[in-house]
Amino acid sequence: MARDNIFAGIEIGTTKVCVVVAEARHDNTLKILGVGNAPSRGIRKGEIVDFETAKRCVHDAIVDAEERSDVEISEVYLGITGGHIRSFNNRGVVLLEEGREEIDEQDLEDVRTNAREVSLPMEDCVLHTIIQHYYVDGQDGVLNPLGLFGKKLEADFHIVFGIRTRIQNAIRCVKELELDTADVVINSFATAQAVLDKNHKQLGALVIDIGGGTTDFVVYVEGAVKQSGVIAVGGDHITNDLSIGLKIPSARAEKLKMEEGDVTLGNAFPGETIVLRDETGFAGREIERETLNQIIHCRIREIFDIVSRQVEGDQHLNYLGAGVFITGGSSQLRGIEHLASEVFAMPAQVTAPLPLAGVTSAFEHPQFSTAIGLVRYAHLVHLDRPMAGGILSRTMKRLSGIFRT
Amino acid sequence: MVQLNRQYGRETNATETLRIRVIGVGGAGSNILDRAMLDGIDHVELTTANTDVQSLTGAVASQKIQLGRSLTRGLGSGGDPELGLAAAEESSDEIQTAIAGCDIIFICAGLGGGTGSGAAPFIAKLAKEAGALVLVLVTMPFTFEGRRRCAQAAASLELVRQNADAVICFENDRMAEITLPRMGIHEAFAAADVTISHSIRAIASLLLQPGLIRLGFDDICAVLRDGDARALFGFGEADGENRAHDALVKALRNPLMNRGAMLANATSVIVQIRGGANVTLGEVGIVMEELNRHVNHQTQVMMGVAVNSGMGPRLSVSILSSLGDSSERPVKANAYSTALPEPERLELPPVLTIPEPVTSAQLDVERPADDAKLQLDSVPEERERRSSKRELDAGTKTPPKASPKTIEAKQEVLQFDAISRGRFEKSEPTIVDGQDLDVPTFLRRHVKMS
Repeated sequence: MARDNIFAGIEIGTTKVCVVVAEARHDNTLKILGVGNAPSRGIRKGEIVDFETAKRCVHDAIVDAEERSDVEISEVYLGITGGHIRSFNNRGVVLLEEGREEIDEQDLEDVRTNAREVSLPMEDCVLHTIIQHYYVDGQDGVLNPLGLFGKKLEADFHIVFGIRTRIQNAIRCVKELELDTADVVINSFATAQAVLDKNHKQLGALVIDIGGGTTDFVVYVEGAVKQSGVIAVGGDHITNDLSIGLKIPSARAEKLKMEEGDVTLGNAFPGETIVLRDETGFAGREIERETLNQIIHCRIREIFDIVSRQVEGDQHLNYLGAGVFITGGSSQLRGIEHLASEVFAMPAQVTAPLPLAGVTSAFEHPQFSTAIGLVRYAHLVHLDRPMAGGILSRTMKRLSGIFRT
Repeated sequence: MVQLNRQYGRETNATETLRIRVIGVGGAGSNILDRAMLDGIDHVELTTANTDVQSLTGAVASQKIQLGRSLTRGLGSGGDPELGLAAAEESSDEIQTAIAGCDIIFICAGLGGGTGSGAAPFIAKLAKEAGALVLVLVTMPFTFEGRRRCAQAAASLELVRQNADAVICFENDRMAEITLPRMGIHEAFAAADVTISHSIRAIASLLLQPGLIRLGFDDICAVLRDGDARALFGFGEADGENRAHDALVKALRNPLMNRGAMLANATSVIVQIRGGANVTLGEVGIVMEELNRHVNHQTQVMMGVAVNSGMGPRLSVSILSSLGDSSERPVKANAYSTALPEPERLELPPVLTIPEPVTSAQLDVERPADDAKLQLDSVPEERERRSSKRELDAGTKTPPKASPKTIEAKQEVLQFDAISRGRFEKSEPTIVDGQDLDVPTFLRRHVKMS
């Protein structure tokens, strides 16, 4: 990319590899130039299991994106997911030395370092350290402590970490295609940038991205990331459940799920059946609609239950004014929002990425939330960049800018 | 095993407040005591109680009680629990003297025979009446020992549970997991004894060792009481840079832990981390973090940390837990077996033997000691075996109970597991709160399909 106002985001998903190229315009809006797509192989549960095959798929998607956008991609923002990614909240504390009372950039960096100083298992590394709240001398609600007077600076951070080697696999896959990785972003954060606006984040929202191999979720409370997580269960599991439960091949189960899938129980007439047709169009087996829905219902409800348990551990659910946002390919199942509002006891909706200039309607679809979120993330990072002087403050600013708003 | 001597402490301050006595009842009980003695056990008084004088003479315990001096005249109880009970009742004065003034009493016995099954519940009762905290460690007979013995063992276990504060029950059928089927019967029994003496020492040291975060007997009771008396025990020790992780992995790899998969069933878990002065908070964090991945979110995890200068650069992890009551939670029977993390294990025929590298090493260390003991063991065990044969001929009085059931369940579930993960068969399992999410939800929850 010759110009520094063009961003590319790549999501290596279990179902598809998706590359989005966007341009930041002078009025600080983002315009999508092109979206490249390729069905993925060699990826299971959001992680690369067959490197060479996966690399070919990534290559196809990038070529596709370059052709559509007429841009030569040189640097990408890479979305990461996988069951190994975990997170927790931690508080960092810094005491200013005697004789100095003004909080400076170094203190902000120190408090972050302090919060990160938790021992993780050897194989893990930190992906994100996201500021939630600052406290100066115990005073709550400090938005930016830089330049304030105080003796003690405390800060709550949300720390996301994962197994280093598995993250490196995805980075290497991109690197071998002669692309630089500008930044690694966990999918749930990227998705949140695509489907939530400032207002939603401030009110509080739970974003659940049910993809092919994983379910990524993130909770925003008062504009800050409160919690996030990845469950390595997604649409593939529904297909597998159907394939086992109805004793039909996977490909047929996938088709059945997409065409007829519904999570609502008791919606079918008693004895209502679906006739499976083989390739030649002849009628084959008959399947009871209620059985189909029941299998899907069990799986989706379980996913919501797990998310709910992990989120409820910190009792955030009461504060989520904007409700639940469901996105990702599997959010297309009929009735999923009703089930979500039942499980989480708050309003729920299925959402596509927020409108951007240049997006054709084909990409205003929940399955592109993460990929589009990646360029939005890149854009937000870019917006914060010119304001800052030193590299330290730049990092600080950009992260606080994104996750506080 | 032998190296364990070094870490079960030399620090005596805690002992002054607690008196602990271990009583081995019957042939199997005295074997366990011999094993504990050979391995070295500190600050604990050992007593052997048996009807069989020959076995009693060979025992190494410092105090010996002959049960039923006039009733059996120094012979065994012939596999008859009523005779065992009568013998114990005759010697109740002697037993009461032995247990007087003790704070904590461990009772070890092999259930299924005469002396162990008959006398152990009675001794537990006496100990309870004497005001001590009573912890009973019993072995359940192999299924192949016959239905009669299994039934006797089950009945006796019920009695023991009524009288004791806590019961840890080791099923000999599970012991088959720690030895090879071609291994001699004595070695198999010896391996069982090793496992039990291991846990006695682990629990004793848990109580005796000064800990930064101390675990008391009340904690142990809390863990063991509400289970169904089946215990999980694991011990691991490691040094080096990643010792916290390695020690936990070793502990989970203990045959009685079933690679941590069965932990998902536990209602509560005790974990003790022990190491030199250089144990870091981070290492404790790693162990707990990783252990928490294996347990159900409702499981109560109790943690103890002990710093022992004798440990040097090593760090050890002991895990003790009791399985939840299977009758109360029927779904769990499937949940744990489907949670087996290794897909390659599915290719094995559903037989219980899994040769473990760790265990074979243990047995190598133990063998010389076994040979020395063989003489002592052979006589009572031979007799018990003969008597059990007689019982079989005589027919069965009570219907079979515990042990055969568990074996069947295991086989069934392994087959079930093999078909139900579908396309995720070869992928890394997704285990959340002890459930294997790759298995269809409706199968795990037994949803009735219309």
